[in-house]
Amino acid sequence: MTDIILFAHPTFGVLGILSALWVFVEALNASDSNRTRIRRMALLVPLFMVLAWLLGGYWYVTHYGVDKAVILNGPWPFAHDVFMETKEHLFFVPAILALYLPIVAAANLAVNRGARTMVLVVTALIVVNGLVIEGAGAVINHGAKLALIQGRSK
Amino acid sequence: MSRITGGGTIVHEGAIREHTLLSPAATAFGLSAAVTILFNTMLACIKDSYPPVFRAMASLTGHHWITQSLANLIVFVVLGVALLITGLRLDGNRLAAFVAVAAVVGGGGLALWTVLF
Repeated sequence: MTDIILFAHPTFGVLGILSALWVFVEALNASDSNRTRIRRMALLVPLFMVLAWLLGGYWYVTHYGVDKAVILNGPWPFAHDVFMETKEHLFFVPAILALYLPIVAAANLAVNRGARTMVLVVTALIVVNGLVIEGAGAVINHGAKLALIQGRSK
Repeated sequence: MSRITGGGTIVHEGAIREHTLLSPAATAFGLSAAVTILFNTMLACIKDSYPPVFRAMASLTGHHWITQSLANLIVFVVLGVALLITGLRLDGNRLAAFVAVAAVVGGGGLALWTVLF
């Protein structure tokens, strides 16, 4: 079950990133015809991000302590010291922006240029931050893997 | 106030201004999101550098990260609702720039803090 949670966390993160990218492209081409679609997709972003938040948070609080000890004893201690320490707080940036997105995307983006700019900025920030966080997750995973390989070869 | 462009089109300045203004909710929670992002970075730096804060946050909910999650949510919602009550409306382009700066400063600050300290 813990493995399912561990994999569901980045999966929902990626789905949140893809949804934000979808909203970004729709906002670039905002018109009356895609107004409803923008609003619906803007609701999916916080849904996926909150699921990533809850699942990742649960795993981090209850299971990560063991992995942390393994990583710190391995050849890549910076996987925790730098990447996890940054990731666990950086995650709040796209998470908060995702919660905000449906509020600003409720406007008619075809008419309101200010709201359209805000949607473009918020979704771009979610995508960029999300990709950085996904990359950090890969480094943390590799740090644990290298530590376990090293431990087995000793 | 109106003006005629080179192409002969009549442009209503009020209408243009109206079409860059965000709704009260989008303004309030946009400002709140930017402030929450900066608050998150400040709280992370403070709890890392001052152990009593870290211990207090850990004892409050059982884990410092849960407390940080709840603190961020509370700041975002409470500040957003408080600003919403004022009925403030801001230019979307300017507020978007503020949100972008907050995200870069907040995110970059977290990374720098972790690497340097």
